[in-house]
Amino acid sequence: MPATAASLGEFEQLVILAILQLGPDAYGVGISRKLETEIRRTVSRGAMYTTLDRLENKGLVRWRLAPGGDERARLPRRIYSLTPKGLAAIRAAQEALQKMTRGLDHVFKTPA
Amino acid sequence: MPMSPPRFARWLLTRALPSGPRAETMMGDLIEEMSARAAASSPSAARRWYRRTALLLAIRYFAEPPSPTPVPDSERASPMDSLLSDLRYGLRSLLRARGFVTTAVVTLALGIGSATAVFSVVDAVLLRPLPFADPNRIMWMTEVGDAGEPMSVAWPDFLDWQSRATSFTSLSAVQPTRFNFTSEGEPERLLGRRVTASFFSVLGVRPAAGRMFTEAEDRPGAPRVVLISDDFWRRRFNADPEILGRKITLDGLPREIIGVLAPGFRYSPLQNDAVVVPLGATATEDSGLLDRGNHNGLSVIGRLKPGVDEAAGRQELDTISSALRASYPNTNSNIHSHVVPIADRLVNGVAPTLRVLFAAVACLLLLAAVNVASLLVARTVSRQHELSVRAALGCGRWRLVRQLMVEGFILAVAGGAAGSLVCAGLIRILQIAAPPNVPRLDEVRMDAGVWLFAMAASLIAALVLSAFPGLQSSGIRGQEALVRAGRGDHTTVAGQRIRRALMVVEVALAIVLLTGAGLTMRTMRALTKVDPGFDATNVLTMRFEMTGDRPLMPVYADMLTRVEALPGVKRAALTLSLPIEGSQWNSVFIVDGQPVPPRPQLPSAAFCPVTTEYFATMSIPVRAGRAFDQSDTKSSRQTAVVSAAFARRFWPAESAIGKRFKQGWPEDKSPWYEIVGVVGDVKLEGVDVETPMQAYLPMAQEPSNSVALVVRTATPSAALVKQVPAAVHAVAPSVPLYGVQTLDELMGSSLARQRVTMLILAGFAALALVLASVGLSGVVAQGVSARTREIGVRLALGAERRQVVGLFVRQGLITSVAGVAIGGLAALSLARLVAAQGLLFGVTANDPATFWTAVATLIGVSALACYIPARRAARINPTVALRGE
Repeated sequence: MPATAASLGEFEQLVILAILQLGPDAYGVGISRKLETEIRRTVSRGAMYTTLDRLENKGLVRWRLAPGGDERARLPRRIYSLTPKGLAAIRAAQEALQKMTRGLDHVFKTPA
Repeated sequence: MPMSPPRFARWLLTRALPSGPRAETMMGDLIEEMSARAAASSPSAARRWYRRTALLLAIRYFAEPPSPTPVPDSERASPMDSLLSDLRYGLRSLLRARGFVTTAVVTLALGIGSATAVFSVVDAVLLRPLPFADPNRIMWMTEVGDAGEPMSVAWPDFLDWQSRATSFTSLSAVQPTRFNFTSEGEPERLLGRRVTASFFSVLGVRPAAGRMFTEAEDRPGAPRVVLISDDFWRRRFNADPEILGRKITLDGLPREIIGVLAPGFRYSPLQNDAVVVPLGATATEDSGLLDRGNHNGLSVIGRLKPGVDEAAGRQELDTISSALRASYPNTNSNIHSHVVPIADRLVNGVAPTLRVLFAAVACLLLLAAVNVASLLVARTVSRQHELSVRAALGCGRWRLVRQLMVEGFILAVAGGAAGSLVCAGLIRILQIAAPPNVPRLDEVRMDAGVWLFAMAASLIAALVLSAFPGLQSSGIRGQEALVRAGRGDHTTVAGQRIRRALMVVEVALAIVLLTGAGLTMRTMRALTKVDPGFDATNVLTMRFEMTGDRPLMPVYADMLTRVEALPGVKRAALTLSLPIEGSQWNSVFIVDGQPVPPRPQLPSAAFCPVTTEYFATMSIPVRAGRAFDQSDTKSSRQTAVVSAAFARRFWPAESAIGKRFKQGWPEDKSPWYEIVGVVGDVKLEGVDVETPMQAYLPMAQEPSNSVALVVRTATPSAALVKQVPAAVHAVAPSVPLYGVQTLDELMGSSLARQRVTMLILAGFAALALVLASVGLSGVVAQGVSARTREIGVRLALGAERRQVVGLFVRQGLITSVAGVAIGGLAALSLARLVAAQGLLFGVTANDPATFWTAVATLIGVSALACYIPARRAARINPTVALRGE
């Protein structure tokens, strides 16, 4: 079933955006670090991994294995990237947000 | 270098995470982050973070298996549905393995059933409250001597207790008694109790009809009254609604029935009292009750006042007794009071046996559960393929474990249900086969408390049973397992290890039960080998009591003549006291020509009037002098025959013939008895009890109206059980006979409690041996089939079949020996506990012969149990085995 923008939850969107931001560094540790830095709240690892699994099940992201270094006992990493379907979904989500925030600048303007 | 993660947290993750690259990358992520945190803050903070995160991840992944295909919310099964499907799946799976299920359910049923049966007895005898109001407030009091030897309470002492004690709302004296009931058709010997007027208020009960008797009726000369039991009223009077006011004849005297007791009321679980009469009315001048030195079988009960505790009551009675000791040094100088709660007193004798049985049953229940757990582990190993397929098809690990747990639960419920049937059957058997003096045994039934216990036992079994396969299967990995199945991989090895550990526990439990059984068997043997001092074969006995004014000796002589005339009768005699049953008359005495000791140290003996043929009838050997004969009449000098212990005590270096002694206190005006004979000692008070000194008197000189008739027959005496009473009744038609039994039966029933204990423990031990050896056999068999390829290799490389068999037998025996070592220690400590309860006779707690016999039996049976499946290893064809690669 094709995922529409309406089926992306808030956390799912943040995770997808983090993946886009990180590019080739989009693996577990990187994604959680990015999220915690930018949104300034603790990210449950369990929630993150299950969200990644869910996005994968929906066909919005995919991953490939990359070798790991000594800092992780040589265990591999999963590097995530968006599928075309995933890209379409996040675009639709952004459009929807923009449409709904039109004319509300005075609400979202950050105080000087 | 990365930090190494905390071991337990890491293990938890490996168990919880789905297998494959996912798990590896997640583990790697956590290690990387932990190292980064260690650098940023501290290693300990990093480890804490790792533990916390690992735990949360494990919970999330365990509870929510990832499914490869997304399930829309609307279609996701509710928890109830999935539980039902687990149930259905489990039932189908179990039904396909009928042999396994039968073994498991039967094992559980035996364990749970016997545990519940013993619990129901313990519940009825020890736990259920007595039928009195607030029984914890009722105390039971007697008097004891300086060395704690029990005596009953002297009536004047009771009166002083009553007037002086302030801790009790009331005290009542109680005396067991028997009556000849003769007014309504068939004469009957009734059991009853004499009590003082406050008896019912102490117990807090009321009669169901009529009234209790008053203080005025509790005095000598008052009109005679009686209360009857509900059972007696229904049985002999057909529940006549006009029963109150009716008169009945007890011991030849009429009494008016003033009340009927409540149905089910019983003062003592050991005696079903048919009648209750006033005790105070018998305290006449000539009754002997008024003598402070006489202890006539009275005991005292009292209800503590509100706010007064047991210790205070005991203390007060102690003080009063000590005042009496000072005021009456002649009679009371060695008399102390003894106060215990009434519940303790009534069940005291049986409690130790019940405790031991309960411990044995706990062992058996555990053994049964462990055995079935071992079977389940084996089954999980053999289902590995099925489980791996399901795991590969996406069934989450938690789901798999849950299904295995549901199966274990189904087995436990089935075992519990079957166990209830076993329990009901065992209760019936116990009630039929039990010794006569186990209190309240007829009140044993499966009530709410017992059902609760059965369910709890099943639940515990279920928990034990589901833990093991659950632990095992959480390590099953889907795809890898499919590939590796059939290679004898680590799941089988882990299963084997668990099963061996369980076997060690089983063997330990079996050794405990075997040792217990061995000790009780030796106790039984020692008890039956004790020489009672007489010949019990082919002797019939019965008791009766003559009432009225007829001179006794002519009646007795007539009776004995008629009985001896019966065909098959060799000899007959009358006696006051029967051996084993116990002495009916004990008294202090003084020996002529020897210094009189102070009153507290006066010797006492069992006095027993007997007719002339008594010693010959009982085959009691005459060691010196003669038995009684026709020369001992009412008008000749007073004679006596004493036991060897009596003679030895006072005349160790010379003959006792011709010596004299006097019964009673030094100042009593009783006649001197001259000793004309010495006979062998007789176990008067029981086979395992120290035999007292005995003094026999000629019945002609000391007639007794309460007697036991002993009849020695040429053939087994049971054949004459109708003719002898008929001969007695020909002379005394309205005298009820009771206690009709052979001496063999008498001796047997005195040992009944020990015999039943021994049989139960022996049964448990045999069952434990069977369970343990079957379990051991199963483990070895599984090991053989798992290592088939290895055996093939060994054989192909030139190993002898004998060596291969020896390998497995040795392994099995090591498990056995480990169990024996652990169990042996437990067995020794438990044996000491059993001995401390006074349950052993003729054998010590750490008797080496018993212990090593048990060990040898277990090792021997284990060796056989290992050898039989190991022989299969010897028959393995190496080429076939190796081809299986």
